Amino acid sequence: MSLASLTKPWAATSYGFLDASAKRELRRKMLKAISVPGCQMPYASREVPMARGWGTGGLQVTLTLVNPNSSVKVIDQGADDGVNAASIRRFISRVSGASETWDTLAASIVQSRHRVPEEVMGEDQVLVLQVPNPEPLRGVEPNISVARQMHADADYGKLWLTLYEQIVRKGRIMQGAAYPSMVNGRHVMTPSPIPRWDVPKLNMARHLTFLSAGREKRLFAVPPFTRVEPLVFSDRPYRVEDHADLTCRRSNVSGFFMNELPIDGGGSAFEVSDSNLGIKAIRQAEGAPAEIGKTWYRNGEFSA
Amino acid sequence: MLTIAPPDLPELRANATFEALMWALARPGDSREMPEAGLAAIIDTLVDLECSVFADEPGLRAHAAATAALVTDDVGSADHVFLTSLEGAETQLERLRCGSALYPDDGATLVAMVQHGRGQRVRLSGPGVDGTVALTLAVSPAFWAMRAILCAYPEGFDMLLVDGRSVIGIPRSTQVEVL
Repeated sequence: MSLASLTKPWAATSYGFLDASAKRELRRKMLKAISVPGCQMPYASREVPMARGWGTGGLQVTLTLVNPNSSVKVIDQGADDGVNAASIRRFISRVSGASETWDTLAASIVQSRHRVPEEVMGEDQVLVLQVPNPEPLRGVEPNISVARQMHADADYGKLWLTLYEQIVRKGRIMQGAAYPSMVNGRHVMTPSPIPRWDVPKLNMARHLTFLSAGREKRLFAVPPFTRVEPLVFSDRPYRVEDHADLTCRRSNVSGFFMNELPIDGGGSAFEVSDSNLGIKAIRQAEGAPAEIGKTWYRNGEFSA
Repeated sequence: MLTIAPPDLPELRANATFEALMWALARPGDSREMPEAGLAAIIDTLVDLECSVFADEPGLRAHAAATAALVTDDVGSADHVFLTSLEGAETQLERLRCGSALYPDDGATLVAMVQHGRGQRVRLSGPGVDGTVALTLAVSPAFWAMRAILCAYPEGFDMLLVDGRSVIGIPRSTQVEVL
């Protein structure tokens, strides 16, 4: 073996920005993450040309998966045209040659911050969620070594206590986003700050989900057909946001997760959070061809 | 202005191989096609100087060494184990690394050449499987018994069973019932 046999010819950049050794490390950890659903796997989290906390974890997973035949959709709070989403999507397509799309049905990789698309994702699709805080126990146990031991022992009593205290103090569970959820009956994960509305979409889904926190250097996964059960008490059923009766002021769709917009003189207007779903609905109303796929929620009820 | 590197052949091969391995483990029992047959492409896809490798064949050992991985004779210290045959490997594999409840990711990845579609019939269930799936693999009941002892979830090892270009994944989260 010589030094030359261990190296490659010089190149200005690597395909897909990450170098080969970064990708191999991510691949190894992604396989382990699939094998132990919901368990946080440490990884090195390399530098990418973006500040930590802006989606670097999701970006690294996407850059590992992407190839010139991929079709990439990136959303930020449901919108494809936010600055963060548009910049990430353009960066991915520039360094990989993958095509960009806004359509959930056409995407092979959906990278997302804070939302799961409303249209049902299929069995060849990968959802990559950007995670700011991967540790569901952080609020009850700031010491990460102790928290790791609690995961090892499946010691989640303090999380139940938090939920119980919310019920006692406020009369209902106040946890809005990042609702702690039991994966495969063993590990509690935070499903990233997706609203309660989106957590059932991960349960027994057809698609593969990766959740990656670049700043915290951990990734975890939810494979297809895996149980994801929000922590609830048997006499207090899990409730999603009351958005079933709201109607989008621009596209007139109803029964989906909405953004609330304050209006002059008080009160609120609502717009559908999954912006491309709204765009498709408007196109359909105008008579243009736009196919809306099957959605997870129908008439405001979850029915997968 | 970005200088965009076009994907070179090793990159495309590793990307396609990983996609097959990823979906194989995400859907246990489902057969996926890799771009090329054999274990060498899997070594190139996953292994580098951060890994320790056990292999039962000199060619694979040399291939793993060329990635700068530590090639070891001790199954118990390898995080990636490549076998050209699973027959009679039970006693050797009893020492396979299974990680700990604290660090389940320390569990080994076992990549083995196993014929699909003949041998022992098994039924799989668990994450990635819609209900149950039955398939036939040339893996002995003794091996599955050993796996059941070693894989005390979340501890355990993850298997990638290769037949030509096809790969079937069986992660530690899968329950295997010998029929």
